[in-house]
Formats: sequence, structure tokens, C-alpha cells
Amino acid sequence: MESYTRYERARIIGARALQISMGAPLLINTTKVEPLEIALEEFEQNVIPITVKRT
Amino acid sequence: MYYRMTLEDKVRVPPDRLGEDLEKVILNVLQEQLEGSITKEIGIFIAVTKVLDVGQGELIPGDGAIYYDVRFEAVVLRLSLQEVIEGVVVETTSFGAFVSLGPIDAMLHVSQISDEYINYDERNGRLICQDSKRYIAVGDGIRARVVALSLNEREPRESKIGLTMRQSGLGTERWLEEELDREKEKREGR
Repeated sequence: MESYTRYERARIIGARALQISMGAPLLINTTKVEPLEIALEEFEQNVIPITVKRT
Repeated sequence: MYYRMTLEDKVRVPPDRLGEDLEKVILNVLQEQLEGSITKEIGIFIAVTKVLDVGQGELIPGDGAIYYDVRFEAVVLRLSLQEVIEGVVVETTSFGAFVSLGPIDAMLHVSQISDEYINYDERNGRLICQDSKRYIAVGDGIRARVVALSLNEREPRESKIGLTMRQSGLGTERWLEEELDREKEKREGR
């Protein structure tokens, strides 16, 4: 698998943002406060522990 | 009867607990969810003892929590009809006695205590057989048989368990000891 589709990317970042908004611990050090921006930064640093199962 | 069962279920781990040790969180969530609850197929959950296996974990759209398939061990009380159980009398009333089986109370109706006529002694809280003068009081251990079982899953306190002692081999500890002594004397007399 080379890269994520746009939909997978959207779903991953969205799910991670939802988790952050519900109080999940952060995986990076950041000064940002908005869950979506934080999730985007985590995605860019490749630290989000979410995998995609393609069936 | 008490059983130790291996069960499988889906456990929801809320996002705010994602940083902690996974098995501990899952054990905690299971304990909060199941201990004290009643299901018709399994019985009364007393304790979740161990988490055996944890699956991969799935994300559902709309919920930030993670759902794990878990195999775990639990201690359960499952009563069946006609089962012989032992309990302690916790309350006596004019219509019978309430017997604690541990996690749940059962009822022994006055008509199911003995073949004789029963009088209720309100002052001492005793139910006394008219002819043999045998009595049952709060704090007595008893051996009885389950004759009615109606478990309410939504309101565990509204569950009803009916008992009887009108069979040979059943009764309060005191009655059974007296019968045993009587049998011993008969045998020695011979």
C-alpha cells in the first residue's frame, strides 16, 4: 500500500480529532488548541496509531 | 451454583483512558459494566477476574472510543430450578422468611416451611411450627430447594426466587442436626 486515499486520510484525521476532543492523550508536543489542527499535525508526523483495513 | 466462565464480549474503551495500560482499562470497564448485573442466559455476575485475550480494536464512525473484542474470565451465580441451595435468613415476616444466598435474596413462603401449621411470633421475629415447636429465626442457616425463578434483567432487585423446605433433607441447620442426632441414637440403640 503506497499512500492513503483522500477518504482514508479524511477519516483517520477526523477520527483522531474526535478522540482528542473527547479527552484522549496527545502524541505530539504542540501549541495548537483546536482538535482538528492537532490531528492534522499528528498525521503529518505519522504518529496516529490508526490503521486502515482494506477488504 | 457458582461457575467460573470464559466469556467473550465487545468492550468500549473511552478516549480519555487511551493512554493507560490496555488490559487494566479493559478489566476496569468490564468490572464497572458487568459486576452486579443479571442476564437470563448467564446469571448473576459476581466478579470479572481476568482478561485473557484482547482483539485488535475497531473505530466506529461517530464515536471516538475504541471497541475491542475481549475474552475474559468471570465468576457467575447461576441458579436453576430444583437446585438445592444453602442460605442465611435475613428477615422474617408474617408471610415467610427472606433468605440471603450471597449476591441475591430469595423468599421462603410460610406455606413452604413445613407440613405443619406455622405461627408468626412477631416479638422475637420467629416462625414457629405449631406441633413440633420447631422454629426458624433471623440468622439461621437453611438448606432449601429453588422452586420459582424469575430474574429481572433491568431491575435486578425486582428478581424473585422462591424456595421450599418441605422435603426430606431440607430445613434449618438446627432441624437437620436434630434429625441427624436422632438417627444416630436409633442406630446405636440397635
